Amino acid sequence: MSALVLIGFGAIALIQIPGLVRKQWWRELICFTVFWSLGLVLAVILSMGIKLPPLTTIINETITGILKI
Amino acid sequence: MHLEKGKISNFQLSVLIIGFIFGASVIIAPGQGAGHDAWIAIALGLIEGLLIAWIFTALARHFKGKTLVEINSLVYGKFLGNFISILFIWYLFHLGALVLNNYSRFLKLELYPATPKILTLILIMLVCASSVRRGIEVLARCSLILVTLTVFVVIFDTLLVAPHMYLHNLLPVLEVPIGKLLWNSHATATFPFGDAVAFLMVLAFVNKPEKSRSAVFKGIVIAGLVLIIVAVRNAAVLGQMAAIYTYPSYITARVIDVGDVLTRVEVLVAVDLITMGFFKISVAYYGTVLGLAQVFNLRSYRPIILPIGILMVILALTNVSNTAEMFDFANKGYPIYTIPFQIAIPLITLLLAKLRKLPQTGGEQA
Repeated sequence: MSALVLIGFGAIALIQIPGLVRKQWWRELICFTVFWSLGLVLAVILSMGIKLPPLTTIINETITGILKI
Repeated sequence: MHLEKGKISNFQLSVLIIGFIFGASVIIAPGQGAGHDAWIAIALGLIEGLLIAWIFTALARHFKGKTLVEINSLVYGKFLGNFISILFIWYLFHLGALVLNNYSRFLKLELYPATPKILTLILIMLVCASSVRRGIEVLARCSLILVTLTVFVVIFDTLLVAPHMYLHNLLPVLEVPIGKLLWNSHATATFPFGDAVAFLMVLAFVNKPEKSRSAVFKGIVIAGLVLIIVAVRNAAVLGQMAAIYTYPSYITARVIDVGDVLTRVEVLVAVDLITMGFFKISVAYYGTVLGLAQVFNLRSYRPIILPIGILMVILALTNVSNTAEMFDFANKGYPIYTIPFQIAIPLITLLLAKLRKLPQTGGEQA
């Protein structure tokens, strides 16, 4: 599963990065790299079977807890 | 500098809003907590939804041709403006992930139980990424075909299920306590009507901005009327059970049986969700990438489409543990959670702009 994730992310990088380097769009390249890296780390974590905290549930419990709904 | 070159007409805006509001709500019935009085909750929610729309269209008309990110920079200054913009972008991103989650959950439960959720999520995300890459004009043109088809399917379903409708299932009217009804109407105002605040990232690209408010109102009212028809139909067919089913429209369509020949038409309802969900996800996705590109001063939003899509899929996969938690959030947390994004940010920004007499002619308005 992790191999599939790496292949997918590698393909996206191969599609996007050469065009950005050719145009010398460095700011866009940095933004792409930051979001791409964040996605890669989270996807690898998920593919290893590690559970991420359910954000919506946390938001819901915080709101309902504070307002006692 | 605008990152979007396309322009849409007010008619296309109305149709796109109808598609956006149908989104997941064609199948996940809004106002369901009010039981057979759901149609009243939707009608009241529609009025509150129009008030929310009045606020954000007033802001868009005040700053013609500007997205919320550009408006925030003008009103609050660069630093605070970008901070508020990022909060709003988070809301759009989260909204897209929530609809994606509903989407994949429905497909997994009803249509493709053996298919992994991640596969359906990736496939729909690729379709949305493609449409976002092509811009708002392409999305608006798609809506003309698909929304018409969906409205036709809703009318078709309603006519076919008419022999199974028992209007006494709607009685007694106003059985639900008033507090519960008002809470459900507010929940309906925030989901789906208030979600139209996402169009603050789109209204800048309407070719006649002075008429955009009436276009937004037309879209919301038409969508609201269709949702009321759907709520009445579901309650009349399913009775008290309408409040229990996760997807009452889907179950209602399952009842259709015309001479043992025309059966299993519920798949048409599934097609409705797939097509309308596409619009809601795409508009939220588009707003997210366009907003981020404006905050980070990029020359194009296209390079970040795929990474943001991946993050949206990851959030959709992990944001709730089960369907019950999702519905609990929709009924309890969401109506409160959305108030800052749907009401407070547009309203405070509008008031501050009026107080500061913005936009000023000349220097400040780029």
